Amino acid sequence: MTIKNMIFAAMILLGVVIAMVPENTTKPYKLTAEEMLVEVQGAAEMVSADDVAHWLISKDPSLQLIDVRTPDEYQKFHLEGAINVPLSVILKDEYRDYMDQGVKTNVLYSNGTIGSHQGWMILRQLGFENNYVLQGGLNYWFDTIMNPKEPPVTSPDEEFARYDFRKAASGVFGGGNAAALAAPTKTKASKPKIVRKKKKKAPAGGC
Amino acid sequence: MGPLVPQEIIGADWNLFIAFVVGIGFGFVLEQAGFSSSRKLAGMFYGYDTVVLKVFFTAAITAMLGLLFFSLFGWIDLSLIYVNPTFLGSAIVGGIIMGAGFIIGGFCPGTSVCAAAIGKIDAMVFIGGIFVGIFAFAEGYPLVKDFYMSGSLGPIKLSDILGLSGGFFALLVIIAALVMFKLGELAEKRWPREEY
Repeated sequence: MTIKNMIFAAMILLGVVIAMVPENTTKPYKLTAEEMLVEVQGAAEMVSADDVAHWLISKDPSLQLIDVRTPDEYQKFHLEGAINVPLSVILKDEYRDYMDQGVKTNVLYSNGTIGSHQGWMILRQLGFENNYVLQGGLNYWFDTIMNPKEPPVTSPDEEFARYDFRKAASGVFGGGNAAALAAPTKTKASKPKIVRKKKKKAPAGGC
Repeated sequence: MGPLVPQEIIGADWNLFIAFVVGIGFGFVLEQAGFSSSRKLAGMFYGYDTVVLKVFFTAAITAMLGLLFFSLFGWIDLSLIYVNPTFLGSAIVGGIIMGAGFIIGGFCPGTSVCAAAIGKIDAMVFIGGIFVGIFAFAEGYPLVKDFYMSGSLGPIKLSDILGLSGGFFALLVIIAALVMFKLGELAEKRWPREEY
């Protein structure tokens, strides 16, 4: 057997092997379990409802709210400017440019924090940056921002400052009474506008 | 982990430097394989020398198998690899023009630079022709624009169109390549040329 024939045989062999094995379509996790544990314990993924309220009022352009609940729930109520990316489709390619980006601050929210945390865990393990979770979820949002409770008179000054901010914020978001909860918002569900990241130009091939 | 640059494991600033090193290696191999001879390249058309076919198909197969196995081992994410979009009409016409230029000039753009680097005058003339062509195309672009953009199919792959798995299609490509190598050798026997 000449060297040439041996190379041919090796190529065919490798071809047969690659034809037999299934394609690898897994999305490999970038962060190890240990790294995730550190992240989770640090709780750095949490942003407080007050921070989000502040960004919304000041119309911070870097904020991107992501509603991971079902489209029905999203239709009934969603935070201003939020896009709806239900948990079941969070890994779809069409949302990839939303989740894996370095420009905006994504804040995931659900009713509580379970859905948003589930989404965040997956995204974080894939190595995506700039994804955060709304602390306490929408329930806490209603308790604190929409219907703030006056702190006891013995509370420190910061408590009152926070209460004043929440009361003002509640006014902006149309809260303050339970009616806000019942009245569904009229806004049409905005389909996320997909801004594709500019693909890097591949080097032109050929000889 | 790969591809290294889109994943920012290697900074994008290194792109040009890596291209420089790879380019030098590519040019060296082209020259060593004798591709700076226009007679060798034209031999592909006349059938007396099919080394061009062998070299480029071997390179394609090696890269193809490498990518597929790397993907299998989880070393590279194929979805991040840039796939050149296909414009069917202009690709066919462009291929014919390129092929004709290949036979007439005896070089392809890359090998012409190689040959010019070792001082071949015909290659320098060829490079001059390239620039004339680039100029004419750029100036005439409004005339050909519609056709240039026609038949846009996006970044498609043959395996997807045919509904085959990437691995099985790779096996077909390898078999096709080996058959072509064999045909090339037969052609070399059929239309031999003593000196060129």
